Amino acid sequence: MPSSLISPSELDYIIRGVDDNLRADGRGRLDYREVILETGLISQANGSARCRLSKGTDVLVGVKVEIGSIEIDGTDEEVAAIEAKRGRIVCNVECSPIASQQFAGRGADDINNELTQLVDRVLNGPQGGLNLEKLCIIPGEECWIVYIDALVLDYGGNILDIIFTTIRAALHNTRVPKTVIEEDKEVEISDDVEEWERIEGWELVPISVTLNKIGTRHIVDATVLEELATKAKLSVMVNKNSKICGIQKIGGGSIEHSLLNEMLQTGRSLGQNLIHNLDKMLQKEEEINAKRKIGFFASA
Amino acid sequence: MATDRRRIQGPEASVAPIILKSPNKIQLLDENLCRHNGRNLEDIRSISNGSAFIELNKTKIVCGVYGPRQTKIPAFSGKGNLNCEIKFAPFSCPKRRPPYRDSQEKELSQLIYEALTPSIRLDLLPKSTIDIYITILENDGTASCLAAAITCASVAVADAGIEMLDLVPACSASYINGHIFMDSDLIEEKRESGSLVLSYMPSLKEITHILQSGEVELNLTSQAIEQCTDSCSKIYSIMIDSLLLPIQNIK
Repeated sequence: MPSSLISPSELDYIIRGVDDNLRADGRGRLDYREVILETGLISQANGSARCRLSKGTDVLVGVKVEIGSIEIDGTDEEVAAIEAKRGRIVCNVECSPIASQQFAGRGADDINNELTQLVDRVLNGPQGGLNLEKLCIIPGEECWIVYIDALVLDYGGNILDIIFTTIRAALHNTRVPKTVIEEDKEVEISDDVEEWERIEGWELVPISVTLNKIGTRHIVDATVLEELATKAKLSVMVNKNSKICGIQKIGGGSIEHSLLNEMLQTGRSLGQNLIHNLDKMLQKEEEINAKRKIGFFASA
Repeated sequence: MATDRRRIQGPEASVAPIILKSPNKIQLLDENLCRHNGRNLEDIRSISNGSAFIELNKTKIVCGVYGPRQTKIPAFSGKGNLNCEIKFAPFSCPKRRPPYRDSQEKELSQLIYEALTPSIRLDLLPKSTIDIYITILENDGTASCLAAAITCASVAVADAGIEMLDLVPACSASYINGHIFMDSDLIEEKRESGSLVLSYMPSLKEITHILQSGEVELNLTSQAIEQCTDSCSKIYSIMIDSLLLPIQNIK
C-alpha cells in the first residue's frame, strides 16, 4: 500500500475518531464518499465505465469481447461437458504509476496480481452472475471471451470496492455483437449495432464491500490514512439477491471470531444499498447516453 | 628497513597450543541403540531450521523455514519480514504444472503470508527475514491444499523456534447442493458451488484468514465458519502432538 508510514499521533486521531463515529472528513463509520459514475466513454471498447470517489480513487474499466476457442481442461468428463458449452471471462487489474509513486516499476506487481486473482475468482465462478452459456457460439469450439480490464488511475483508498462497482457498470454498458453461424461453421459477426445485445445476467454481478477493522470497530470506504491504521480488512462480495458471493481477508492482522459475523452482516446490508444506488445511477446514465449517443457512428 | 604493512606482524616468540583432551570418548551408540545426538538409527537430520510434512490422505505437502536472518536489502521497518513461497511440484496435479511460478502460486503465497503474519511476533525481529518455502507434492483439492499448507507452515515456524502468539490450524469446506463438505478432495471440488478456507488461532479465538467463493446464503456461511473453527481446534491438538513428539523421544 502507498507510503507505509503514519505517525503515532495521526494513528491515535484516527482510532479515537472511529471510536466516536466521526471521521476526519466528517463521515460516520458506515458512510461512503460520493461516487461519480460515467459509462460508455471509450468507443473502441464494447463497454466501459469510469468511477471516481470525491478527492480520491479513480478507476477506469474497459470491456472487450473477442471470439476465441473453447478450452477444455481436465480428465473429468462430467466437468468437461459443462465447460464445452461456456464462454469465459478474463480479468486484469492494473494499478498505474499515475495513481501513486508506489506503483512505479515493479512496485505494483504484487497488488496487481492479488486484485486480478480476486476479481477473476469472483467473476468466473458460479457466483459471477453473467450467463456464460449465452457466450457460447459453437459448443466445444468457439465462444465469446469477455476481457475485463481495470485501470486504477488515482489512489485514494478503497480500490477494491470501486473496481467492482466500475466493472458492474461497464458490464451494464457492454454490448455483444450478434453472430450468425454459416453452414461451413464460419462465424459471421453482424455489423448492425442496433442488434448488439447486453450480456445476460449483468445485474447479478456482485459488488464488494470492504470493512476495515480499526481499533475494536470497523469502517467502510477508508481513505489512505485510515487504511494505514487498519489492522485487518475484510472484503465481502454481495449480489442483488443478497447472497454472499465471496469473502476474503486482505492484509495482515486477525479478526475476532465474534466480530466476523457482525462484519459479514454489515457487509451484506450495506452491499444491498450500494447495488440499489448503483442501479439508479446506471439507469440515469443510460438515459443520458441515449441522448448524446457517444460513439456508435451517431456524431451528427 | 621498510616493512610490508599488508603483512600481519606476528609476535616474536611463540608457544605451541595446548591440546585439550575430551573427557570421554564419543560413544556412537548407547545401549538403547540411540545415537549420540539423540536420534535413532533411521532418523535423518532436519535440514532447515524448521520443517514439517503434512499428509491428508492424498495431499502431501512439505515445508521448510529458514531464518530469522538479516534482511539483504533492508528498507526502513521496525518489524521483521516474512517471505512465503509456495510451489506446486510439476507432477502434483492432473495436468503438468510448469516449474516456474505462475500467478496462482503467487496468490497462494500471498494468502499464506496473510494467514501467518498475525501469529508470528515479527515485532521482535526488526531488520530480519524469515523465509518459508512450501512444496506441494500431491494436490488433492486446491482449497484443502491451501489449508494444509497454512497448517504445515505454522508447525514448521514453531519447529524453527520462532516466537509466535499461537499455532494457526486451517481448514477448508466445500458447498455442494446446500450441504457443507468438510475438507473436500479433487473430485468433490470440481463439483462444488463454492468453497471456504479458514485459518484460526484457537487460544486467541481470532480468525487469521478467511476466503470464500461461491454464491452462498449468510446463515450457511456462518454454519460453515462454525464447523471450520471446530475442525481447526481438532487439528490444533494434532499440531501440538507433532511438535511434542520429537522432544519426548529425546528424553
